[in-house]
This record gives sequence, structure tokens and C-alpha cells, in this order.
Amino acid sequence: MRGPHAERAPGWESLARAALRPRRVAEDPGVLRRLLAFELEGAPYAVPVERVREIVRLRPITPIPRTPPDVRGVISLRGEIVLVIDARQRLQLPQAPPTRSSRIIVVQNDEGRVAGLLVDGVNAVLRVAEDAFRLTPPGEPGAVAALCRCGDRFVSVLDLERMLDVDPDV
Amino acid sequence: MARRRSRSGRTSKTEQEFVSEAEEIIERMRGGLADLEDQRAANDEVDPEVVNRLFRSAHSLKALAGLFGLDPIRHLAHQLEEILDALRLGRVSLESPAISLIAEAVRVFATLLEAVGDAEAIEVAAAPVAGLSEQIEAAVRAARSGPEVVEALDVDPEVLRTLTEYEEHRLQESLRHGRHIVLVDATFEIDSFEAGLTALSAAVRSQGELISTLPAPDDGSDSRIRFSLLSASSLAADALAGRIDVPGASVRSAMRRAAPRAPAAATPVEGADGLPSLQSISETVRVDIRKLDELMNLVGELVIQRGALGDLITTLQSHHATAWIANDFTRVHKELNRKLKDLQTAVIDVRMVPLHQIFEKVSRVVRGLRRELGKDVRLEVRGADTELDKLLVEELVDPLMHVVRNALDHAIEAPAERVARGKPPQGRIGIDAFQRGNHVVIAVSDDGTGIDTQGLRARAEARGLVAADETLSERDVLELIFAPGISTRLGVTDTSGRGVGMDVVRTNLTALGGVVDVKSTPGSGTTISMTLPITLAIVQSLIVCVDEQRFAIPLGSVLETLLVEPREIQRSRDRELLDLRGEALPLRRLSAEFGLGTPPPEAKLFAVVVGIGDLHMGLLVDRLEGQQDTVIKPIQGPIAAIRGIAGATEIGDREPVLVLDVAALVEDPQRRREAPCP
Amino acid sequence: MRRILIVEDSPTMRALLTSALEELGTPVKITEAESGFEALRLLPRESFDLIVTDINMPDINGLELVSFVKSNAAYRSIPLVIVSTERSERDRDKGLGLGADAYLVKPFEPETLRQVAEDLLAASREG
Repeated sequence: MRGPHAERAPGWESLARAALRPRRVAEDPGVLRRLLAFELEGAPYAVPVERVREIVRLRPITPIPRTPPDVRGVISLRGEIVLVIDARQRLQLPQAPPTRSSRIIVVQNDEGRVAGLLVDGVNAVLRVAEDAFRLTPPGEPGAVAALCRCGDRFVSVLDLERMLDVDPDV
Repeated sequence: MARRRSRSGRTSKTEQEFVSEAEEIIERMRGGLADLEDQRAANDEVDPEVVNRLFRSAHSLKALAGLFGLDPIRHLAHQLEEILDALRLGRVSLESPAISLIAEAVRVFATLLEAVGDAEAIEVAAAPVAGLSEQIEAAVRAARSGPEVVEALDVDPEVLRTLTEYEEHRLQESLRHGRHIVLVDATFEIDSFEAGLTALSAAVRSQGELISTLPAPDDGSDSRIRFSLLSASSLAADALAGRIDVPGASVRSAMRRAAPRAPAAATPVEGADGLPSLQSISETVRVDIRKLDELMNLVGELVIQRGALGDLITTLQSHHATAWIANDFTRVHKELNRKLKDLQTAVIDVRMVPLHQIFEKVSRVVRGLRRELGKDVRLEVRGADTELDKLLVEELVDPLMHVVRNALDHAIEAPAERVARGKPPQGRIGIDAFQRGNHVVIAVSDDGTGIDTQGLRARAEARGLVAADETLSERDVLELIFAPGISTRLGVTDTSGRGVGMDVVRTNLTALGGVVDVKSTPGSGTTISMTLPITLAIVQSLIVCVDEQRFAIPLGSVLETLLVEPREIQRSRDRELLDLRGEALPLRRLSAEFGLGTPPPEAKLFAVVVGIGDLHMGLLVDRLEGQQDTVIKPIQGPIAAIRGIAGATEIGDREPVLVLDVAALVEDPQRRREAPCP
Repeated sequence: MRRILIVEDSPTMRALLTSALEELGTPVKITEAESGFEALRLLPRESFDLIVTDINMPDINGLELVSFVKSNAAYRSIPLVIVSTERSERDRDKGLGLGADAYLVKPFEPETLRQVAEDLLAASREG
């Protein structure tokens, strides 16, 4: 956007920024972040709400041969065939069979690619102030991006890019 | 699946303002384009106002992009404006590639807009801009030179004073068609003129073209405003006055003199038939392939629902109390089946396009390369009217181009060399396309050097792909050209690209459910055959069961099914074989292939004999479950292609069933010879 | 307080023209018209000191607006600037011929517009 073209009409561009900004209601970007909290092995985890497309109940999952164990299989979602990743496996937590409260969180990345994340149960949407985020202490599994303090508990906020990066080689 | 990328956090609000206005403009352009295509399809005369609106949209977009320093958009909008200007001024006709260029530009705008705020994405999205701009420029340049307008107009000079160039052009067009130019006057209260003026404009349009609306102060009063509507009509002022039933409106001629026609000297533009240049020429409608995908998916959903209905009927039949109603249902179900099949066929048919489009592209490239490489080659194309799914055709371009370039670059010898070998100096490359069952075969043959199998083997040995003492049939050696890292190139040239070899061609075709075969005779030529399924859409599949998991095998590649007793299975080295009418049929156990549980050793098995191209193989499964219509869908998620799995389908219930990629399974043995990672 | 009428159908352009002119040396009140028709309605309601108009609009074109303003005794003295991306020489000649006081071809610097506007406003005050 900027860069080499900026000199073409610098006046207008800065004007444009100054003129149009007040026309929109200020959102206070970055002050509060919304997270979808869920449960794994009794501990709270979360993903950014804006990346969640929907939450679905457990449904038949067809396993796929020749895939890593983190790949649970595929589900059918209104005609789409969506890959489901087992969050427990991915985070190297003990295995447990799904229960009635198990859910599949269907997430979406920047390019619109979707995938499902099998979790033990979904709790709530948290509103978390930016300053409640703490850097990941060493030793946390790779897919945990940050810890954030929420009441008296620390919630592990997952890095979805890493969470969904399935190792293609088996 | 088209989902918007979230822009939040990546763009400023100003950009969002810009983006939303630009999106509106592009939406309007899409509308205008659709109108143009409709009119063309309906053989109607193209409405100049539609072209003008498109022009105005391009114009606005250019101005906006200029202010925001968005060069790719500004540049393309500028070219688009040029061609639309030429179009609305009658300098380019719609018969030229204009419409498709405009459509392409609109598409590129949309992707550019998606990328605003992301410098990298903009760069990617801007990649086609230069080429497209050039094409548009060329189209405008190639256009005939336009009318050098307007002095000769007999229209009242007062009227001409406020007309823009475009409006003058419309005026001139109308005069050339012998229409009358009139002014319709009416006076309104200035606070409330719009309703009255709208009604008057509509009345004028119903009798001809409204060229311009000129406001003027009313002599009598400050609170009133007078409008003069400049219009072109087949009716003269007097007759028109009777048709325009708006109180207070009056009609007068806008001509300076009585003569309604411009002098003959002012009419050099049209051909002898005098047809207006903006006329429709075709009865086809262009449809976005994504719309066809949607349609296809809908048909797929219906097919699935039909399957569910069949299950319900089976349930009804199994209960005595409801069996009577099941019979009625069965009749309706059968009828539904028939219609659905017709619908499927029709929808698939719409997706099919003849191959000649890409063959023409190949011909162009060959013509260009011929000169560059100093080779004399004749390209013979047969079966160009063979049809293939539009998506497959697009995917086929690169592999086909690669194979043809290889032939031209490496196989065909220089004229002198050919003569020395007793061949005619002119080389020959043939492209033959034909349908074989549910597949289309495209064979590229040449009468060049043929593949040097000894050299090929030596290279493979050097790379450790083959042991020096390994016995390989001629065919096995030829197959080595598809191994990674072994390209057929004998020297590096720009033509076939560096490092991109036949393995990429095979990978691409396999991804499309196709196979590629090679035949070659040293000294006299090579044939590369590419076999592709006709469509990726609905296919009949055989449902099989392995370890209680169901899989679908597209029926297009199933030759037959056999019940196999364990004792009939023969072993030869590490392979299992079946004697099938005297031929050795290699077997593959799906359970072993997919790491699934195996049935007890004494259990009977089923062999599904599959064949693609010339390769045949028996896939061993536990059980056959019957045939189903299946819509093969891609698997959404962060995973690369899974070897042996083409996608998944839904059958009746909500549980997805994986669809086997027969081509990949059949080809696996060659792939086992893959190069170790360099 | 000087009153300026901006006639422009693109909302982004309108906002940009407005913000450029809001930064004039003198206090201004800016009225925006989204179309030629709206401008025609607004003209009698307020006494404008300057009109800035686009040339390419869907209902009436900028030239027609100029013609209307300059042929009307009540508005004739209002200075008028045409802003356009049109490089048509003929449109430019026509605009100036009809009595427009300036014809700016985009992209121009906001400063250029301000300069022209200030000159025209000063002249009309003196006149």
C-alpha cells in the first residue's frame, strides 16, 4: 500500500486517513480480546473467537489411512468434508475416548481453510484484556502461544497455525 | 467454500472505506457485465447506457485507486476505461475479445481488493495485471479508428455546448440511424422536481434514447427550474408530442435545419449492412465456473438425499404393516431416479468444453518455439472437439505444454540431422484426443529420436534409483522418466524449464485422477499418453468394505469383481498374483495398504479389478456392498493430498466414506522407486 | 464563514474533497451534494461562495451544472471549479467556455485545490 507509491499523492493519502477515521465508531482495538475457552484433560484452553466458524456436536468421524495419529479423520459438515484433528493427541495429553460433552470446534485460518478440533467440551467466550496475556513459559507444548490470566486460573491460548500444522510425513 | 478473508487488523479504516466503495463499484460492474452478456445472448441490441455505466465505474475506480496510491488497480482501471471508452464511442465492437477482457479485469479487481492492505498479497494479486493490461491495450489499438466527430451535426449549437464527448457520440450515432433529435421541455418547482422529472425521463425513454438532461433557470420565477431533455427517437417532434403524456411538457426539434440526416461524409464507420457496432453476436452465456460447481454440489446433495430415501423405503418394506406403502414409494422413487439422472447429465454436460481452446494455445507456443529453436515441425492435431470438464481442461494446460515442449526441444532433430538419418527434414508432432469410456486420452507423439533407454538407465543408476545388476524390462526402464530428478532433458534449455521433469507431469495428472504412459522406439519416436476422467463430478462408485470401514471405488476404473478363494492367490517374489483367464493379475490388499485389520486367512475375499490406461490390478477387499452415486469432495483441512485417497463422499447417512484414488494405487509400485531426498 | 458546495457522486471522493477544503485559511461551511440534482435543489437554499463539482455524474453532467449556474442571474457570480479525471480536452474547453473558473484534472494535490479555492474566494469577496 505505502512504500514506493506513497509519493504519488501523499497529500491525499494522509488526508484520507485523517478525514475518514472519525467517521467510523472507534472500536478500541487491542484492548479486549475475545477467546473461546474449552476443556482438555480438565484444564482450560482457548482459541481466538474470530477464528471459530462453528461448534458442532460429536458426529461419526471416518478415519483416514496413512495419516498421523493426530488426524482423527473426516466429518461431513453440510456437504463439506472437514478434517478433524484430535487436540489431546496434538498436545501430547493422555488419550481418552470422546464423551457426551465432546465437541468439534470448526476453525478457519486467514485463507479460509477450515479444520475441526476435537476437544473435551466447550466452556464460554472470555473477554480478556490485552495486558492479561503472558508469554509462554519455556516447556509449554509448541502449540500454546500464550498464557492468559483469567480469574484465578491460567488459560492456555493456542496458536492455531501450529495447532493445525499436521506433519504430512508418516 | 468461498469465504472472505478477515481484514481486521491488517488494514486501516481508510482502506476499508476505500475497499467498500470499490467493492460497490465492482458489484455494479458485475451487474453491467451480466446485462451486456444477457443482451448479447438474447440477441438484443446492446444498451449503450450499460456500456456507459461500466465506463463510469472504471473511471471512478481509477480515480479512487489513484488517490490511495494503489497502482495495480489504477493501472488496470485505466486500461479498462480505455477499452470501455472505445466501446461506448463505437471504436471497438463487442465482437472483439472486449467482453472477456472486461470480465477478466473485473475478476482481477476483486482479487486485488481482497488483498488491499497486505503488500505481499497485493503483489501476488497484481501478477496478471501487466499481461491483461497489454491485452486490453492491444485490443484497443487493433480497433478501427473512430469517428472524428462532430462539426457536421445539424443540431442547435446551444445544445452542443454542454454535451460531453460521449453524449456527442450518442447524438451522432442516432443521427446516422436517421433518428430525430428532439428537445422535450418541462418546468418544475425546484424543491420537488425529481418526481416529475423522473416520470418525464421514463416517458422519453419509452420512445427512444435519452441523451442528456439540461437544466436551465426558468425565466419567470426563481423557485422554478426548466429541464430540456435531449432525446433521439424514430418519431419526429410532432408525433412524439402526442406520445409523451406528461402535463406541461412540450416537444421541439433540436435540429438547426429541417434535414434529419447527417451528410453522407459523416458516416464512414459502419459496414455495408449498417449494423450498429454494439450488437449481439452470440447465443451463448458465459457462466462463472464456481456457479457450476455450486450447481454440481446441489445435484450432489440431491443424489445423497435420494440415497437416504432409498434406505427409508427399504425400512418400510421390511415391516409388514408398511410394506404396501413402500410399493408406492418405490414407483415415485424410480421416477425421481430417472429425472435426477437427466439432471446430472445435463449439469455435467454444461461443464464440458472442447479441447480445442488449449490445443490452439499449444499451437501458438509451437509456432513461436519453432522459430526460436530453428526446427522445422508440423503440428497435427486430431480430436480437438473431444470434450472434457472445464476444470480439468484448465489443469491440463501445463502438463500438456510441458510434454509438447519436451518433444519439440529434445526429441525432434534439426533438419540436417533428420535427413542424415533418412527421415524427412520436417519433423512431426501429433496431438490426438479421443474418448475411451469415462476417460479422455490425449496422446502426444513425435517422430524424433526416441528415448535413449541406455542413457536413462545410466542416469537412474547414477542417482541410486536402480541397482546396476537389477533386471528391468524395457517398459520398466521407460517408466524411469517419471522418477523424481530424472528428466528427459539432454541439455539445459529455457524451453522445457530447468529441473521440472516428467515426474511433475505425472504428479499433476495423478492429482486429477489421471495417468500418464510412455511408449518409445529408439530412433523413430515417442508417444506420451495422458488419460483423464471426463469429469470430476458425480460418479458411480462401488462400495467396498475392509475391516468394517467402507470405501468407494469409482466405477469408471472398475473392470470387474471376482470372488477369490485364498488358495487361488499365488505368490511371486514379494507380490501376490491371480491367474485371470491366463493373464497374471497383480493383487494388492487394501487392508495392508491402509494398515487395517485383516480377515481370518481362510476367509474368501473379493478382488476388484481396476484398470487405468494399460495398468490393471486387483484390489483385495473383505466385502462388496453395492453401487452408489457419489460426489467426490475434497477434504478440507491442513493436510496435503493423501496418497491413495481421492476425497470423500457422503452416502445416505452423515458418515463420510473415503473415495479411493485408483490411479495412485495402481501406480504405487513405480513410486516405490522414488529417489532418496537429495 | 464562507460556504462551499461540493458536488460529487463518489462518497470517498466527496469525503476527500471536504477534508481538503476544511483546511483552508478561512473558516468554511461545506455542503455536500451526492448528485447534480441534489445540487440543483440546494442552490436556492443557501448562498454559496464556491462550487466544486465533478464532471462525470449519473443524472446531469458537470458541464450542465456549470451551464445552469452561469446562465442564472442569481448564481452567475459564484466561482466554480470542475474537478475531473477526464483528460478530454474538449470537455475542458467546454467547461471553461461555459464559464467555469477552474478545471482541475485528478490526481492533483490537495494543496492545489486549496490554492485555487482560496484565490477564487478572495476574488469573489473583493468583487
